[in-house]
Order: sequence, then structure tokens, then C-alpha cells
Amino acid sequence: MPEIKVTPLGAGQDVGRSCILVSIGGKNIMLDCGMHMGYNDDRRFPDFSYITQNGRLTEFLDCVIISHFHLDHCGALPFMSEMVGYDGPIYMTHPTKAICPILLEDFRKITVDKKGETNFFTSQMIKDCMKKVVPLNLHQTVQVDDELEIKAYYAGHVLGAAMVHIKVGSESVVYTGDYNMTPDRHLGAAWIDKCRPDLLISESTYATTIRDSKRCRERDFLKKVHESIERGGKVLIPVFALGRAQELCILLETFWERMNLKAPIYFSTGLTEKANHYYKLFITWTNQKIRKTFVQRNMFEFKHIKAFDRSYADNPGPMVVFATPGMLHAGQSLQIFKKWAGNEKNMVIMPGYCVQGTIGHKILNGQRKLEMEGRSTLDVKLQVEYMSFSAHADAKGIMQLIRMAEPRNMLLVHGEAVKMEFLKGKIEQEFSIDCHMPANGETVAVTTNPSVPVDISLNLLKREMALGGPLPDPKKPRTMHGTLIMKENSLKLVSSEQALKELGLNEHQLRFTCRVQLQDPHSDSDTLHRIYTHLKSVLKGYTIQHLPDGTVMVESIVIKVSSCAEDANTKVLLLSWSYQDEDLGSFLSTLLKKGLPSGLC
Amino acid sequence: MRSEMEATDFQDALDDWFMESMKTYKDLHVYQLEDPTQVLEWTSGKTVCVAGFHPSKNEILQLHLPRKLLADENKGLCAERDFKVVHGGFTDGPVRCLTHVPGTRCIVTNDGLTSDLQVWSVGGDDSDAIKLTGRVKGRSNRRRRSLPGAVCRVAATRSSQVLHGAASGDVRLTELTSGQVLYTLETDSDEPLSSLRFVGDAVFLAGCSNGNVYVADTRTPAPPRLHPPPTSPGDPALWQTEASPGGAVVRLSACGRAVMSDTRSPGGAAGRARLEVPPGGRGQEGGVSWAPALDSCIAVSGFGAAVRIYDTSAWPTEPRDVPPLFEHRGHAVSSQPAAAAVLVTAHVWHPERPRTLLSAASDGSVHLWDWIDGSQ
Repeated sequence: MPEIKVTPLGAGQDVGRSCILVSIGGKNIMLDCGMHMGYNDDRRFPDFSYITQNGRLTEFLDCVIISHFHLDHCGALPFMSEMVGYDGPIYMTHPTKAICPILLEDFRKITVDKKGETNFFTSQMIKDCMKKVVPLNLHQTVQVDDELEIKAYYAGHVLGAAMVHIKVGSESVVYTGDYNMTPDRHLGAAWIDKCRPDLLISESTYATTIRDSKRCRERDFLKKVHESIERGGKVLIPVFALGRAQELCILLETFWERMNLKAPIYFSTGLTEKANHYYKLFITWTNQKIRKTFVQRNMFEFKHIKAFDRSYADNPGPMVVFATPGMLHAGQSLQIFKKWAGNEKNMVIMPGYCVQGTIGHKILNGQRKLEMEGRSTLDVKLQVEYMSFSAHADAKGIMQLIRMAEPRNMLLVHGEAVKMEFLKGKIEQEFSIDCHMPANGETVAVTTNPSVPVDISLNLLKREMALGGPLPDPKKPRTMHGTLIMKENSLKLVSSEQALKELGLNEHQLRFTCRVQLQDPHSDSDTLHRIYTHLKSVLKGYTIQHLPDGTVMVESIVIKVSSCAEDANTKVLLLSWSYQDEDLGSFLSTLLKKGLPSGLC
Repeated sequence: MRSEMEATDFQDALDDWFMESMKTYKDLHVYQLEDPTQVLEWTSGKTVCVAGFHPSKNEILQLHLPRKLLADENKGLCAERDFKVVHGGFTDGPVRCLTHVPGTRCIVTNDGLTSDLQVWSVGGDDSDAIKLTGRVKGRSNRRRRSLPGAVCRVAATRSSQVLHGAASGDVRLTELTSGQVLYTLETDSDEPLSSLRFVGDAVFLAGCSNGNVYVADTRTPAPPRLHPPPTSPGDPALWQTEASPGGAVVRLSACGRAVMSDTRSPGGAAGRARLEVPPGGRGQEGGVSWAPALDSCIAVSGFGAAVRIYDTSAWPTEPRDVPPLFEHRGHAVSSQPAAAAVLVTAHVWHPERPRTLLSAASDGSVHLWDWIDGSQ
């Protein structure tokens, strides 16, 4: 039976990193290539030995697809392509292609320069890896080769995040990556058409979460900022140049306006330039509101938010500053942090995950004394707040997505050690589809039922129609006869005669002959007539003819009568039939062997 | 055009409420379940059960509270605000009542159609499933008239015994493992029950819809003590009664009259109040409950889309309009304007945190809130 095989790569039950192998229609595809941020050793890389024990991956993979720029989805990409070895195409959307290398380089710098690790990819490797990238546009079908095609769909979540539809022949798979079903202030919601893939692959963590509303998260953010400002403190918000920064700015601007607040809000200029640059490139990836704002004015022409200057950090009184980089590992945000850390009235709000080795990571783990360059220590007295604004789907969202796409099977990658019987049952009951939940390293084979398209010759079709019977009905298959010719990749159904002609084959006819002895004291022609009458009464509904040339024909079966040379009452019946009438022929010979009934005229 | 304006007005009203909430709530979490629930039952200080009430198929879920709420010292360092669905199960009928058997993985439900109880096991064996493990027979149907609000009330003990019944003539204590009936309440009356609550290991209070409260001890065959409602002219006939573990009883009528008394001092003075009732009066669900960790405070729901907190300590003997100490309007404010009027279907106090409550509404929303006492 045709199958699609899926193997989530990795160690243990953790879902800290995404890297999924799919085998479909003879093609092998790697979906995402993430780094596990919780490990410091080789466990952070996916286990590629599943693909091959040693050597490069190029011949084993037809392509690699990256869903978005988060490190748990692309962090191991340069390692895979340059250190393990892969030279084939790597597909991702345009924004992902633009942002990935920046995040990878930051990540590399932190891990190698700050933590002093050695088994890690280099800057050159990141560049070489990105040369292999083929960018994707939304809803555009891309032919990876003659048989494999892929298409990206909008996933929401972060700028450039995509869900991907993979098709080989009539089998298909959709991989969701990270997505969300409710639009937020700067991104839309995920959308896919009713593509009815054989398999939909997603993560189980969505299905087991019920998300707190966006407004409550925002409320918490505004409340914290407000509390700090009210007591005269300064608030530092380290951000990456994109995404959340814009959203938080819009939020603060609205809040400041409503509450008539006077404290200044600043944006570091590096941020503004980068953000404008990216938004200009990727305007189609953001939602309506942002697009309208951008068209009407410059992204960062806010009433209450101004460009930051280094010297402002020393100004007295409350203020809010957005600065890069997002993990406090270098640059302006770190400089400001050093100045403000010693005052308990101040606050730092971390809006996202921080990689190990960064100051951000340390303070989020509760560290209150930090070792800085030159052996000095920094006392962290300010308030540290960790807030998550990332948009993820939840239990309700995943059901909505399944309803949208109508997959034939569901596959959830899961990290729980717990047996997910309830979740599996819920999906199976609601949609009457199978739900598979492989553990990391475990392969699941999903049986598909691909339809095989076949061309049918018009003559054959007409002939079948002429046979009468019920009209064609898509729900009731009707048996028909023909010859299937498979030539290269095409399949054709034609009549036998046409097939013989096309293939240049000779037609052979098979006829059976059988002799039956019969006692009948009549003349040959009378005996024949008696046979004719007898058969007419027994075989109602069949075409029986008494022909002038002295034969009886039943359908295509010929019956002749002759007398035995020695005895005129012993008749020899000659029956002859073609292979097609085999059944009827056998029946007749058996019937006639029994003799003719008396009473026949 | 009009719906766009309505949408903007709705968003504005919502924004206003959220802005205001920054001063009035310490914590606020707003969730949307796939199906509304009528039950909210703690299975520990960190986990709570909810269940649907469609006529046919429903889910029972055990949810884990967001870590951010529970992380008291390092709250700022915890970003997790979501519920985690830890366990789930399926049931064929509505769930009108759900009770946890303390110290076990067991919960007991009733569908409001018969007096029988379904017994479930939550998780165990490394599984996320809530499985049906047995049934407890209630009173058979032949004696039963169709009573309004004929839902079973259930109270469970640590020794896996369950006190249950839909009416006062029907209260029995059943041992779960054997199914043996250990005790039945001896009374001639057969009033629908509005509450059943243990006030000690074996002493319980059964509150009836006519205001009668029976106090009995499951260890003795002696008849229960009856506390009729302290009546005064004009007192209504239909009550929701709720007893606190300390023996205080509050009776709440459909028209908003509330009477507070104490079963330990039967002849003692009662406190009375007139509580706010929005147009439409009282719905079927919701109720009144005593705060486990705050003296004399009750929470009232079932009157529209709000949950109101009252301090009963200063209620006078003559009924007077009493304003709430706090009003949670979240469900009303966040429901879509075009939708049917939202009603709060259930509310529950957190067993330990003094001002934390969970409330559920007919639109499937569940709110988790920690209110600030403005009077302090």
C-alpha cells in the first residue's frame, strides 16, 4: 500500500526543537532544522544519523524547507548544511531568508565568542548555507523537480512564517510549523484552502493549551510600565528590530494618549532604520492595519515616541526606551541596562526568549549579580519582567485549522511523556480521521489512498455507454472492461482491438469444440429442430436461432447434428464456442449430454 | 456601516474595562473554552475541572492553572499565562454537577436527568485520559416527579464516601468502592436540594429550595435538626442556600433577597440584604458561595453576567439595599454585542488564595481573577 512516512528527529521526548523527516512518493524532505536551546552539548542538534550514519546528506534529501526564523526551527541549519553536509535546495519565504542569517550570526557570536564553544558553525558557514536558499512566495507552486512540488501558505505567528503544502503525484502533506488562528496587531491569522492533504503535521502543545487572551497580556505589560513610570522609574524594553517592537509601540502610544501621560518614550534609531527597511520589503506579510499605517505615514512617526540619543539615558525622571539587541547581549540595550540596573525603581521587560550565555538569559533565571568585563560585578536591583507575546494557536485553533484543510490523517509531534489518549480520541472522533503521535526518533507510516488518473479512449467510453444500464454515478462505481496501457508516465484505457492495433500485436481467437452423443430416432434435421425447441424452452432470454444452413446458434455457439456411420439413431452433436462464451458452452454440453426430453414435438 | 461602528464601540468598551481593571484587579486572565461549562471544581490548588452540558456528547477537562499565577515570589520571571489541558474524557450526556473526591484521582458527575452518579478516574498510568470507572445508583425514577432544578448535589469525603441526592428525601451516603449505602437522611420532606455541604468529618448541612436547612451526622441514625428559614413578612418562598464550613448559612432568593444566619445559634438574629438583580432576574445556573479564606464574604452569580462579592458581616436585621464589595463584569463586557445575553453559569473561590476566583459563562468564557479590595 502506498505510504507516507514521518519521523521527528531528535533526542528524548522534548519538543524544544523542530526537525521532521517526511518520505512521500519516493521523495525525502526535511521540515525545519532547529536547535534545541536547552542543551549545551550535541543533544541540541537533531540526530542526523537516522538519515545516514556517515557522510553527506545531499543524496538522501530532495529538499529542506524552513518554516520561519525562530532558532528552534532554523538554528541547526548551517550545522546541517555545512558541517554534516547538504548541497541541495533549502526553501523558505523571503522574509525568513532576510532575517535568518542575522539571528544565526547573533546566535553564533553569543555561543562562540561569549561562551567559548568550539563545535559550532562559523560566520562563513552561515553565508555558504544561505547561498543554497531558494525563496518562496505565498500561494505560488514551486517545482522542486518533475514530481515534487511545494506551496507556502500564510501562518501568522512572526513575519515570514509559512505553512507548507508538499505534493508528489496525488499524495500530499501539509506542515504547519508555528502558526496562530487569531490575528494580532501586526500580523494576520493563518489561512489555508480546503486542500485535503493526506496528512496534516502539527505540534501537540497547541492542542493541550488554552491561551490567555491577548488583551490580558497587554494589560499586564501596560500595568507594569505604568507602575514603573508612576514611581519615577525607567523602563527598558530590549527588542529585535521587528515584529513585537511595532506592536508594543502601537500599544504604548494608544495607552499614553488615553491616559494623557507625559513621560517620554524612545526608540533607538538603529531599530527604526532596520524596521522601516524590512517593512518596506515585506509589506504584504503584515496585516491590514499596519499596511494602512505604513501607506499613510512612516512606520515610526508616533506622536509620543521619539528617536533615542545615547545621552538621554542619563536624564532624570521616568522614561521608556525600546533598544536593540533583544537579548541584552551587546550594543545599546546592554549599555542602557548597565546604567539602569542599580536602581530598584527601574524595570526591564523582556518580550521574548533569550539564548543561553546572554545577560537576558541570566536575569530571567533570577541571577541578581552579573559578572561583566574586567571582572566587575553588576548588582541587578531593577525589576525584571518576562512577558510572552508570541502568537500561537491553541486547542480551539488547531481544530479550526483541521476544519479548514480537511486532511485525511493527522500527525501531532509531541514531547509529552504522557500517553495522549484523550487528545488522539478527540481528533479522531470529531473528524473521523486517524491521529498519529510518534515520539522523537519513531517513524509513523500513514497509508494513503491515492487516486490514479487514467485516460480513457472515447470509443471505449461510447461503447460502454451503449451497453445501457444505469447512468454513471460518482458514488457507485461501475465495472467496465478494457486494456490498460502504461507508457512512460501515462496511463491509458482502450478497447482490446485498439490495444492490439497500437501495440502491433496479433489477435488470437480461441474456440472450443466438443462432441456429444445422443440417441434419437429421428432424421438429422428433425433432431436439430428438437434440440432447438428444447433449448428455447430452457434458455429463456438468450438468442437462439435455427439457421437455414442446418445449424442452431445459441449466442455465438454453433450446434450441428450428424449421424453415426454405423447406427442412424446415434446422433453426434458438434458444439463449438469461442472463449468468451465458455460458461454457456459448458452448460450446453452438460445439458445436451442428458439427452432430449420425450414429449418434444 | 452600522456593524462597523458597533464593532468599534464594543472594542472601546472592552478597552475601557481593561484599562480600569489595572487598578481593580491584581491578576486577570481571560480564556475561551470550546464549549461552555456549568461546573468548576478544584481537584487541587493548581488544577480545576470543567465539563460541557450539551444534551449529547461532551468533554470533561482537567486544567492546570497558569504558572504565572502560582509563582508568587518570582512572578515577574514567569511568562506562562495559559491553561494547560492535562486530562480529558468524553461523556454521553450533560454534566450538571462535578465533585472531586479529596485525596484521590476520582471525580463524580451527575447529568441532571436521573439521580445516578457517574464515577471517573482522572489520569493515572501516565495517560491523559479521564475514564468512566463506575456508577452510583441514586433514587430510582418511578417515585420522581419532574422537579425544577433536579440536579444532584454531591459532597465527598476523604474516605471515598459520597453524600448525594437531588431532594431532601433522597440524601444518602454511598461508599464508592463497594457501592454500599452507609447512611440515609431520615426526613418526611422531599424538597429539591440547592446545596449539600460537609461542615466536619461527618456533620453535614442540606439546604433546600424552600429555605429549610437540615443538619445531620452520618455516624448516627438520629433524625436531623431542622433550621427553617428565619422568616419575616414579605420573605420569598424559593431559596438557594449555601453553608460555610463554619456553619454560617446564607439563603438567596430569586428576587435578590439574602438572609444570613448561623446554625450554631439557631434562634440568633439574621442579617438581611437586598442584592442587585438585573432585568431578567435569576437564571438557572450560578449560585452563592462562601469565601474559604476571607471572613464573612460571599460571591453571588446567576444574576446576569456579573459575579458580585458581598461582605455579610455588617448586614442589618431589616433588609436594606447592599452594594457589592466588588463586581466582576468581565463576561458582560467581553461578550460580542450581537450574541445572546451572556449569563454566568458557575463561579468558585480558590481554596487557599483569599481573593482569587474562577468564573464561567454561557459563551464559553472562563475568567481567572484576583480582585483588589477597594475598601482597604
